[in-house]
Amino acid sequence: MITDERKKELKDKIAKSKQIIREAFSKFRSSELAITWTGGKDSTLNLWIIKKVCDEDNIDLPKTMTIDEGDSFKEIQDLLKKYSREWNVDLEWCKNQDVIDAAGGVLGADVKVEDLNEENQKEIRERLEYTGDRFPFEAESWIGNHLMKTVVFNDFLKRNNIKGMFMAIRWDEQPARKNDPYFIKKEKDKYTPEHTRIQPILHFTERDIWDTILNYNIPYCSLYEKGYRSLGAASTSNKKSDIPAWEQDLENTVEREGRRQDKEKAMDRLRKLGYM
Amino acid sequence: MNNVILITVDALRKDMLGIYNEKSNLSPFLDSLKDSSAIFCNAFSSGPYTQSSFQGILASEYYLEYGKEKKLNPKKILVSQVLKENGIYTAGFHSNAYLSYYFGYKKGWDTFYDSMEEEVTDMYPFTRGGDINNKVEEFLKNYSFGKPLFLWVHYMDVHEPYIAENNYLSKIDPDLKISKDEMFSLFRDVLHKRDISDGKKVDILKKIYMAKVIETDSYIKNLFSIFSKYNLLNNSTFIMASDHGDEFSEHGGLSHDGKMYNELVTVPLLFYKSSYEGKIKEPVSLIDIPPTICDIFGIEASPTFKGSSLLPLGERKNKDIFGEAINKIGHQEKETDKPIYFTLDNNIKVIYRKEGDTWEAYNLLEDKSEKENIIGKVDKNLKDKLKDFINRKRGE
Repeated sequence: MITDERKKELKDKIAKSKQIIREAFSKFRSSELAITWTGGKDSTLNLWIIKKVCDEDNIDLPKTMTIDEGDSFKEIQDLLKKYSREWNVDLEWCKNQDVIDAAGGVLGADVKVEDLNEENQKEIRERLEYTGDRFPFEAESWIGNHLMKTVVFNDFLKRNNIKGMFMAIRWDEQPARKNDPYFIKKEKDKYTPEHTRIQPILHFTERDIWDTILNYNIPYCSLYEKGYRSLGAASTSNKKSDIPAWEQDLENTVEREGRRQDKEKAMDRLRKLGYM
Repeated sequence: MNNVILITVDALRKDMLGIYNEKSNLSPFLDSLKDSSAIFCNAFSSGPYTQSSFQGILASEYYLEYGKEKKLNPKKILVSQVLKENGIYTAGFHSNAYLSYYFGYKKGWDTFYDSMEEEVTDMYPFTRGGDINNKVEEFLKNYSFGKPLFLWVHYMDVHEPYIAENNYLSKIDPDLKISKDEMFSLFRDVLHKRDISDGKKVDILKKIYMAKVIETDSYIKNLFSIFSKYNLLNNSTFIMASDHGDEFSEHGGLSHDGKMYNELVTVPLLFYKSSYEGKIKEPVSLIDIPPTICDIFGIEASPTFKGSSLLPLGERKNKDIFGEAINKIGHQEKETDKPIYFTLDNNIKVIYRKEGDTWEAYNLLEDKSEKENIIGKVDKNLKDKLKDFINRKRGE
């Protein structure tokens, strides 16, 4: 149970998010906007607040996208399916089918660069400047992450002519995020179309997310109940505890400890140092 | 109460320091420690790049003890683990991804900073020396000094991409005008591709590298002023080393690949404020550092350690010198790359590459640049010594 004072705090946080969302709708038409939805706690809350604004202001809910890396939890997929129907969400499941095919759909399989289509090969050679002949099919590896997430994301923007993307980033997620603004304009480059990232729930802490979800009966994936705190690819997310996420010591332990961020970070550093 | 402070610099060539090369004046601070130090004139790393050599420096192990592995084998015991178990406070500060939590190095540290949560840039893909010092100072400010301290500080600033500040670069060559973007292009287009076809570009790379040595020396100087502030100068033994050197086309390449020539495997090693002052000519290996640190604290070394204590300094010990790594050339290690080994005996270095089953030998006294392969002339025992090392009973 939470106090009335806490309830007021949460209400204010939601109001702040709504204000950001309304600002986005004043800058862009609904058809130029889109929402990312992973099925995780943050993006589900984000979508819930956007939907509330749309309902209140009688605006069409923007197109919503989820990225299927070929390695997602069934529980996550179930939630996405159930609530996209219930909330009447126009949800597009996006994936890089070419890479999945080249890997034969097998996680960890060695993918030959030459088996990929021209666009994917170009991404690897020109953008990543990777010179190897093969790479592992893993959504959270350097090449895998790029092809399965970044490329898919950019492709979605281009195909739908999206000018603004709602995303569920939080300031307390990691130190690198702590100075993020609510609106970030991404300039056009060789691969990414110009777009603005809109981050309405930046000011929510992990604790705020859970208190809001529980207080407002917002749906969440059942895996959180089983102890997961952060959900990424199924094969690389672990739980560090068996008690529900919201009952864990959120303030003194690391949210993403169960996710293999450490590998991504180490690989990124090594690449910049000239290795790999 | 005695403390041990280990200061390491990534990719610092031995011949950059005035202590070893009187023509060099890039490290005035380190050189000023000379008279109060034991200076090892023939220290070897156990490999030519971080993954191979740091297994020696922190775990007293050879790289391939359990075969070819990407991460530190869990059976390898870090010196920090031994010390912590014996009541020493252990703190490590570094910014080398190969020594991060992911690669298995966060073992036995009471305080461990591997910088992996920081945002870095392409030009400086690590926490720079000044910020490493800030982390150390922040730690010392809050440290209670209730226990003896083992502190390890590692600098990445000499490591590529070589991006130097103008004030340091002008000390190397006042006429060299080059922007940071141009330095980065040299890294990407010349160093990264191991393209030594244009000697002028290699010269410029080396000059930038030298400027980074001056910069790093200034960080170490600042670190010592922090030590002074926290009264660590008179109750600590300081060990300083690099993990390997760097190549500037001496053997057809750049940076530090899987080769065993001296520009890569001879390293600076000095003990400051130790029991001995003066030069030590006897060859030693960096794998001797962990058992030596244990010895200084009066703690028993781990039975897994492959080296042995250097104490008492100055006493002759006839150390075996070996190195072991993967013979990778260029920036990418391939699954098919095979091991390379070396040993040293009586100033003769023997190198064996599994690829092509090739042997080399050099007389380091007469042929310092290791150009004339005398493998046909060396005693068979020397080859056998290296073969024994290669075929030794390894950990399982």
